Amino acid sequence: MSNEHTVKSYEEELQFLVDSVIKMGSLTESQMVDSMDAIIKVDKDSIDKIIKSDDEINKFRSKIDTQIMTLLVKRAPMAIDLRETISSLKISQDLERIGDLSKSNAKKVKPLPLDLPEELLSNLKRLGELVIKQLNDVLDSYVNKNYDKAKEVWEKDEQVDDLTYIAMESVIDFLSKDKKNLDFSTHLIFATKNLERAGDHITNIAESICYLIKGEYLKGSRPKGKVIQE
Amino acid sequence: MSEAKIKSNNLNVFYGDKQALFDVNLDLNEKEVTALIGPSGCGKSTFIRCINRMNDVIDICKVTGNIEIDGVEINDENLDVVSLRERVGMVFQKPNPFPKSIYDNISYGPKIHGKGETKSELDEIVERSLKKAALWEEVKDRLDEPGTGLSGGQQQRLCIARAISVNPEVILMDEPCSALDPIATAKIEELIDELKKTYTIVIVTHSMAQAVRVSQKTGFFHLGKLIEVGKTEKIFKNPDNKMTQDYITGRFG
Repeated sequence: MSNEHTVKSYEEELQFLVDSVIKMGSLTESQMVDSMDAIIKVDKDSIDKIIKSDDEINKFRSKIDTQIMTLLVKRAPMAIDLRETISSLKISQDLERIGDLSKSNAKKVKPLPLDLPEELLSNLKRLGELVIKQLNDVLDSYVNKNYDKAKEVWEKDEQVDDLTYIAMESVIDFLSKDKKNLDFSTHLIFATKNLERAGDHITNIAESICYLIKGEYLKGSRPKGKVIQE
Repeated sequence: MSEAKIKSNNLNVFYGDKQALFDVNLDLNEKEVTALIGPSGCGKSTFIRCINRMNDVIDICKVTGNIEIDGVEINDENLDVVSLRERVGMVFQKPNPFPKSIYDNISYGPKIHGKGETKSELDEIVERSLKKAALWEEVKDRLDEPGTGLSGGQQQRLCIARAISVNPEVILMDEPCSALDPIATAKIEELIDELKKTYTIVIVTHSMAQAVRVSQKTGFFHLGKLIEVGKTEKIFKNPDNKMTQDYITGRFG
């Protein structure tokens, strides 16, 4: 662990930045939990609340941007401080995108029929649980500056890819049974894809954390699961 | 990668009983800028003063170990120190032009080193040196005015012109911008960038940002020891040594 800065206010500013990223992360996580819940329960009443929570996340993003600019101008951070500052910028961008994807998923609840068959949603639910776990783990590794844990998240995205493939297949299966299902099935396909994308942002965050801790980028290519043809 | 122009090997310096440098091993590459950083009293100035034997003027100073320039030991008693200093120029923290005209400031060195025989040769050296130091355009019409009448930044460039007038191979700069405003600093930094094409440069600086901007290699000194040396980018993004990190991030107790 590093010693404290000679300038106490610098120490506080950096800590404040890190705290902001952590808060933004926990907001993003609960928004994702809510939006997954809304889909699985086809809970149309919660849509507005989830959309609103995205505003809160976006506000955090601008706040963090401002803090970073002030830090760069005032302190010209070096070494670990520079990496802390730059990774905050990158992580907050990825969190904001994850927030957008959760919002988009919440909007997809509107056209869903209330009596969706359970087997259709079970794979999507598993995928959602995995992505939420990944987000939780990556934020944990950020809070504790745990390189191994961040790297584990990065590697585990393979499982997200695989589950995305399975969830897609079950929706397509359902869709092909009856053309009447076409409309809302499309929304479910997009929701699945959104979760996979959120998974990619989570791996970006994991990469930023690894760079922050060791000062070098993760080597080699990330293990990838089955990929849906775009 | 450039070749090492200057090599120090187990260099120790004592001022009386006090040891100022401990076994410093540092290579300075040819036509590259090396920045030396570290808190006051850490030995970085002492180190560069070894390169042109400026410590000779301090009676109680004793130097052990080696410093080689182009493979030739310079701590040799028989070495001609005057010709060493012709090869290794120096620029100090505070601009210190001679109380003479701008012209004489530049021509003095070449004259005593027997480099300019005739007036036209000297004229040519003065113009070339001032041009190299990016000062010519500002002073060409008042070469007979005193050097001390120039602004701080101009005076420092005059000192750089004076240093390069004898065509050295190495230029040592001991905090050359600490007395200058940001614009004058920027001009000197741009000049350093240009000069490194011809000279091997060593700069002592307290400004981390300056070290990042001007140098390719950085060495960090602390309490007389060279703690870490490496590519500048690496030192300031991801140093290996915790002490280096603590210093450059402002965590020194």
